[in-house]
Amino acid sequence: MPELDRRDFLKLVGAGAGAAAAAGCSEPVHKLIPYVIQPETITPGIPVYYASTCRECPAACGIHVKTREGRPIKLEGNPAHPVNQGALCARGQASIGRTYHPDRFAGPMQRGADGTLAPISWDQALDLLAGKLRDGAGKAWIVGADRGPTANDVIDRFVAGAGLGGRIVYEPFAPESLRAATQAVFGVDAEPLFDLSKADLVISFGGDVLETGSAPAEHARQLAEARDVAAKEHGGARFVYVGPRLSMTAGNADEWIVAKPGTEGILALALAKAAIAAGAGSESGRAAIAELAGGIDAATAAARTGVDAKTIERLGAALAKAKAPLALPPSAGLTSARAVATAGAVLALNQLLGAVGNTLQIPASGSAKGASYKELLALVDAMKSGQVSVLLVHDADPLHSMPASSGFGEALAKVPFVVSFASSIDQTSNVAQLVLPDLTALESWGDAAPRAGVRSLQQPTIAGLFDGRALPDVLLETGRKISADVAAKLPAGDFRSVLETAWSDTAWRDALARGGVFTEVAAAGTPGLAGGLAKLEVAEPRLDGDGPFTLLAHPSPLLYDGRGANLPWLQEVPDPVSKITWQSWAELGIEAAAKLGVVTGDVVVVETGTGRAELPAWVRGGLRDDVVAIAVGQGHTVGRYASKENDGRPGEIRGVNVTALLPTLTDEAGGRAWLCTTAKVTPAGRKERVAFAQYTDNKRKRDLGETVTLASLLGAAGHGEAAAAGHDGAHEGGHGAHHEIKLPYDEADDAAEGALHRWGMAIDLDRCTGCSACVAACYIENNIPVVGEEQVLRGRIQSWLRIERFVTEGEVDFKGGRPARESHESLGNVDVRHSPMLCQQCGAAPCEPVCPVIATYHNHEGLNGMVYNRCIGTRYCANNCPYKVRKFNWYDYDLKMFPEPLPLMLNPDVTVRGQGVMEKCTFCVQRIELARQGAKNEKRAIRDGEVTTACAQACPTHAITFGNMKDAESVVAKKSGDEKRGYHALHSLNTRPAVTYLAKVTRGSVEG
Amino acid sequence: MSRHAPRPSQLVLFALFTLVSALVLGLPAGDSVRAQQAESSAAAKEAQRLAADPNAPGPIQPIPFSHKLHAGQFQIECLYCHSGTDKSRMAGVPSVESCMGCHSQFGGDLEGVQKLQEHWKTQTPIEWVQIHRLPEHVKFRHNRHVAAGLDCQTCHGPVQELHKLYLVPDTKWVNGMPAEKLKMGWCMDCHWSKNASTDCLTCHH
Repeated sequence: MPELDRRDFLKLVGAGAGAAAAAGCSEPVHKLIPYVIQPETITPGIPVYYASTCRECPAACGIHVKTREGRPIKLEGNPAHPVNQGALCARGQASIGRTYHPDRFAGPMQRGADGTLAPISWDQALDLLAGKLRDGAGKAWIVGADRGPTANDVIDRFVAGAGLGGRIVYEPFAPESLRAATQAVFGVDAEPLFDLSKADLVISFGGDVLETGSAPAEHARQLAEARDVAAKEHGGARFVYVGPRLSMTAGNADEWIVAKPGTEGILALALAKAAIAAGAGSESGRAAIAELAGGIDAATAAARTGVDAKTIERLGAALAKAKAPLALPPSAGLTSARAVATAGAVLALNQLLGAVGNTLQIPASGSAKGASYKELLALVDAMKSGQVSVLLVHDADPLHSMPASSGFGEALAKVPFVVSFASSIDQTSNVAQLVLPDLTALESWGDAAPRAGVRSLQQPTIAGLFDGRALPDVLLETGRKISADVAAKLPAGDFRSVLETAWSDTAWRDALARGGVFTEVAAAGTPGLAGGLAKLEVAEPRLDGDGPFTLLAHPSPLLYDGRGANLPWLQEVPDPVSKITWQSWAELGIEAAAKLGVVTGDVVVVETGTGRAELPAWVRGGLRDDVVAIAVGQGHTVGRYASKENDGRPGEIRGVNVTALLPTLTDEAGGRAWLCTTAKVTPAGRKERVAFAQYTDNKRKRDLGETVTLASLLGAAGHGEAAAAGHDGAHEGGHGAHHEIKLPYDEADDAAEGALHRWGMAIDLDRCTGCSACVAACYIENNIPVVGEEQVLRGRIQSWLRIERFVTEGEVDFKGGRPARESHESLGNVDVRHSPMLCQQCGAAPCEPVCPVIATYHNHEGLNGMVYNRCIGTRYCANNCPYKVRKFNWYDYDLKMFPEPLPLMLNPDVTVRGQGVMEKCTFCVQRIELARQGAKNEKRAIRDGEVTTACAQACPTHAITFGNMKDAESVVAKKSGDEKRGYHALHSLNTRPAVTYLAKVTRGSVEG
Repeated sequence: MSRHAPRPSQLVLFALFTLVSALVLGLPAGDSVRAQQAESSAAAKEAQRLAADPNAPGPIQPIPFSHKLHAGQFQIECLYCHSGTDKSRMAGVPSVESCMGCHSQFGGDLEGVQKLQEHWKTQTPIEWVQIHRLPEHVKFRHNRHVAAGLDCQTCHGPVQELHKLYLVPDTKWVNGMPAEKLKMGWCMDCHWSKNASTDCLTCHH
């Protein structure tokens, strides 16, 4: 035997120890359980994809459901779907967890005399419901979100057949005011469609289209297309944002006009007047503006909106000059008592500028019945006076999302029989007499028709995990139980056959395979102005109370209206703006906070006429000092993750439900007004730890989140000089005027000689909006554990990919310890840089040489490998990583945070890491290996575009490109070779990263 | 692939025999006609007894299935039952249905086949005890090893000679160290000698 070296000696010792241990206990028995009948389409180990529709919000994006051995494990956008074209937002990514949620009801439940829910059979439950409906004819109502045309039709026929009072569509952020405005201005009862891709100047009047608008993934893609610096002349479209708060959308604008909340309509009309003065508009358009604007002009508007007259004139002239301008109406957070007039003013501005028929389409005919807040409030009144005997609630949690001041809670208590169709527990089902658990979107049939030309199908990809039944099937069966009369008025068969009949005009199997039927719709043309315009009165909205602050209750980009709050990934993915997780916070302007004597983390009391809330402050420069902003979505009393139940504190509320602070105010047409009250803010005199995922927006002038000015980019000649002038101040100090953002080396060199690939990535910061779809996709793809609030507070957030948000170049500040969070934002400043940070797969990786067990190493294709089974948890690598992308498993997180049946959604191609092991981004090596096997089987090379990472796949704007750097023709190699914009993060460290960032382009303010 | 791949003529004969017996005996299928089936051979009965032999190495399986009878004597190709192994990273384990493809016709007098037929009748899966198991942090790909022309026996042992399956021990000496079967050194020895990938990430991710 040759001489033993140290390694071999250790192995021998280890083997002896193993044998001793093995003698002491027997091996666990592992079972191999094959199918009874193996479905033809399933080969264990090979994924099967089904096309379906995402039901998280009304946008109805198309999805591909990846299933393994019959279990959905990942959702990806459907590239053939016209709305999202392959992308899927964070909410869509996380929605897969609804199916496997541990809070799901096991079956139908009835509330007993003692107030607790007890199981009941479906037969009994439906008999009970049928009986109640038989007795309560005309006094029963059904409330819920839009469920798609076919299911809506079944509900309507049930309502008519069984003699219910009616169906009310409830969607808390429904753009009712916009629809009413379109009716008033153009005479069409429908929501207009925006096409940002055609625009050369977009001005958003508080429309947060990139985060919570009518189709965020679509609008983000369109805006990125319009602003593509490589394809468009002069840097592409300019984007101006008007509003009180630097929202995620605002952070992507070229210019932020800090108008008083609620005055967007006045500003729109002033801009229209200024545009007319600069020669814009047709006769009719001018007349319409004159009619609507009355005495509003730049000077008066300046006083009323807080925007100076010069800016108004400059922007008006820019709008007049633009070839394809587009004005976007406010999103839900800024809908006020004057919301219809505001939206009307914005639509009239579009009409004046010739946007209608070009960047903005008015549908030819009205849409189906939409949400109606007015009807719902009338129902609440009827409930209060005891006129409602049965209330059916589906796809909504009104007890959480309705303003407490509407009295919905008391009204609900007066309804003797409340039926909830929630699939897992929410606040409404928590008080319902009968719970008939619905199937999730991945378990049931359905369809959606978000607009003309788009008919999207939703198909089940797994049998119901629990004893649930789909809402339309329950209604059909209940109808048959009520009486033969009712049954005769309902369609025959189950909902699947009803759906198939409704789609009988299409090739059903083909539609199933494609995800729906998508047709080109001819542009609707430009409708004339309708008479309703004159009735709109554009003015400051009425706000309740006389507090010094206006309360801005805006939709949360991740939790939306609160429907995402019980999905742990959406709680843990940091808010794109504040980077706060798991909590509620009150945003305060710097000066306002100084006056109150409050700093970030100090608890403040926000008090309105209808309620009060205590929550920690986040002091930032990106908010008007007369506004306090709180995101909607937290404040749940039930739900494992939505409340604090999973933290071992059941019954405790997580965060603050802002709807408790809101009076019940409506716009002119009866739609919900979210901007409705003033508030008093006082310090509570105590502090709370805020679960920030990023503690500072100061980039300390390092090579992170770089920008480059458009001027330097366009100045093709004299590259060095232009770059020096163009690059922000960061480099002027240290490097002198000759600093260039250029690639110091060729990434392709970092693979071994003869290797076919050097995997690399290009991230275009000019396209990144900060939406965090990639972060959520990474969580789901790579089985990343959610760690919870307490662990986030300890800085142990486990995400492999984070979006760093920096504001301006920052300043060099080496104060020891964790810095107090100081905002680098300031009013009107939009220098926000979103920079995705992930393992850079360095060519000269600092983590590798410090690992004592070679658990991390450099492979021949340039990947920085991480071998979990070798790792002994010294954490030296994480300490030595300058990018801080390595994460340590302090616990077996899945035991606490991932109860059954959530583990069913784990990706079987990715090892679940245990306690004591380091982990990090792998460039989705499981996807690379899958492509490699496919290519090897076919005896060919991996094609460009064949492998893509989960983050790149999810990105709505295609900001991330992944591929082979050794192939000079690959898209990623070409993008990474951008000499003007390409840079490496912290390049002075010479870590030779495989990730090339393309600097964000600053386009400057809009010229008149 | 198995060294015992049946010649095409054997498969044709097998299929013909199935068809003819079905026609001659007028068997519709299923267990109702078990009594009419030909009695199983003594070899089959013996194979079943040995497959359940508690003194032989290996775990007792829910059904005393003999690989020696099926793969050895009948020379049924591995991939016939373990279908998909050449396509997927996971090995195909036959469904109850595919067992019943033959055993609705044959072996109804054997206790093991009766157990199988009971599974079919009640539509419950068979819970086999796994013998060849790799830890979860190893992403082994069956299809690539089949494509590389490896015999199944290389890792799974001479299954065609075993009535009762067990992890047939095999220890190589790798760099002067003993490398037990299905342990990493044992895999690596082969990967080194065949010039296959020895990159950690190929199997560990």
